[in-house]
Amino acid sequence: MRNMITIIKKELRRFFTDKRMLMSLILPGLMIFVMYSFMGDIMSSTLSVDEDYTYQVVIYNLPDELPNNAYFSILYDDDVEIQPIGDRDDKQIRDLITNKELDLLIVFEENFFNKVSNYDSSSGLPAPTIEVFYNSTKNESTTLFSTLNLVINEYEGSLINKLDLNPPKIDPNGNLGYPYDLSSDESKSIQFIVMLIPFLLITFLYTGAMSISIESIAGEKERGTIATLLSTPVKRSEIAIGKIVALSTVSLVSAGSSFIGLMLSIPKLTQSSELSLDFYGIETYLLLLIVLISTILVFVVLISIVSAFSKSTKEASSFASIFMIVNMLIGITSLTGNVNTNTAAYFIPIYNSVQSISSILSLDFNALNFIITILVNFTIVSIGVFVLSKMFDNEKIMFNK
Amino acid sequence: MKELLIVEHLKKTFKLSKKQQKLEQNKIKVKTAVDDLSFKAYQGEIYGLLGPNGAGKTTTLRILSTLIKPDSGDAFIDGISVVDNPTEIRKNIGFLTSELKLEDFFTPNYLFDYFASLHNVEPEVILERKNKLFQKFGIEEFKEVKVSDLSTGMKQKVSLVISIAHDPKIVIFDEPTNGLDIITAKTVTDFLVELRDLGKTIILSTHIFSLVEKLCDRVGIIINGKMILDDTLSNITKNDSIENVFFKLYEEQGGVLI
Repeated sequence: MRNMITIIKKELRRFFTDKRMLMSLILPGLMIFVMYSFMGDIMSSTLSVDEDYTYQVVIYNLPDELPNNAYFSILYDDDVEIQPIGDRDDKQIRDLITNKELDLLIVFEENFFNKVSNYDSSSGLPAPTIEVFYNSTKNESTTLFSTLNLVINEYEGSLINKLDLNPPKIDPNGNLGYPYDLSSDESKSIQFIVMLIPFLLITFLYTGAMSISIESIAGEKERGTIATLLSTPVKRSEIAIGKIVALSTVSLVSAGSSFIGLMLSIPKLTQSSELSLDFYGIETYLLLLIVLISTILVFVVLISIVSAFSKSTKEASSFASIFMIVNMLIGITSLTGNVNTNTAAYFIPIYNSVQSISSILSLDFNALNFIITILVNFTIVSIGVFVLSKMFDNEKIMFNK
Repeated sequence: MKELLIVEHLKKTFKLSKKQQKLEQNKIKVKTAVDDLSFKAYQGEIYGLLGPNGAGKTTTLRILSTLIKPDSGDAFIDGISVVDNPTEIRKNIGFLTSELKLEDFFTPNYLFDYFASLHNVEPEVILERKNKLFQKFGIEEFKEVKVSDLSTGMKQKVSLVISIAHDPKIVIFDEPTNGLDIITAKTVTDFLVELRDLGKTIILSTHIFSLVEKLCDRVGIIINGKMILDDTLSNITKNDSIENVFFKLYEEQGGVLI
């Protein structure tokens, strides 16, 4: 026990007192925060239209009835300017859209509203048309086109008007809305988190454990320092447990840093002020921590065995990368946002951790599945420690240069 | 004198990979590194294993230090078997080889404490022993310098000092002066003599004749994994130099001098 603690202290000292090592633990979290926030800002600036922007529109065959038609009222809002055609020909106007100097060209058929009111769909004749030309690479053009598209569809629906599915309603503040989705903000936030976080957490846990464990075991083999340790009277199991506990702690800090960076960047990434984590209590985080610890132990044991087996850090990285792909494929199963309730599934390592994390974050906690996950993970860790101890005692593996 | 080390019929073979077979330019799948090797070393003497590269010296020392196991045979240090009780053996030996390296990030001070505690040495004893050894080897002023920033000679001194942090009965050194400058090499050899004078038994391997002549009380000449000659240095060099004796034996064993 005393030797194990000595080994743990030494491994932790190596990671936490070396500035470069420490930076490599904290940097991923910082990078994730900066990167995701930046991505959110970029996406937001790409998709949003400046408040002061005035859309530029040209309309052919502008119907006299248009200003009085409530559906097309958006074309008469303050932020829309209908330009006169002037002496410009059709090609010149289309070029203006191509060159992003004009947002929309709307072409009504002559006597459009008359033709619409007289049109009989059973006649078999073509229906009156509106053509809307836009530029999909200009955000403002696309935005106005989408709104107009919606408006025209609604107008068409009102002409038939045999039924209305979820018609827009005016709320007490006078705003038009569609109040038919009764899901709470909380469940919307949970759905988003459950889709995104388990996959990213599992990926962060693995990548954190990978760099640290390979350096500690394959690195020591490569540099020849492991032989110094093996020539001491310390039991191989103590070396194995000491290394695994220390590496798991360091990996957990690395994953924690990435997790905090991710959580802080989510509001920026989603550009949503409604996304909140207030519904998660301390018990959620505690349960999450238990799953994460058991999972990181599995990862560290797995990568340590791979590292002990490898002749160099390079070889260990190649082997560990294969497991990383498998791990990511398992993590992807959480992207459906659904939690697997089949108890048998929780006997599958790593998949059980992904599902348990999803289950905890969705506030749909199942104690039996959770306990199975932890027991399975710790069983694997125990077997892994035994295997690693045997490997430390195997000259063919330890001195296989 | 007390027989502190008894080596009995050690044998060790290694399977050769296809790559190794190519390098060795033959199709032999198994190489016998150590073949029926027996010798004894007494308390307070320096025993030198002399042989060319690939003779089996390092393999023998690795078996004695419990890093690898023999296929057959056994060795006993103060009556304890290296095969049956490796953990107990590790408490009684200090092992140093050019392959054993120190971690670059740590300082000599920290590493001494670390390895001494892994040998269950009490903290006050660690401090006393460390001060003494660091002073003796001129490590004192570099004790807080990271290993990565030390010179090769200083690294070797630190490795040497750390290997005896637990005051072992037997010190096993594989090529102790390899790669050292002449000043550091002298410090190391002087220290080995001092350890002998303190009653320690030292087993070293080397291919340097002058080192054997200067240090060893007893010599074992190994060629192709076999012990060809095992006697005191004075008996071996009664009529001829160690160098001439060695090459005569080498040629008798089929060795070719180019």
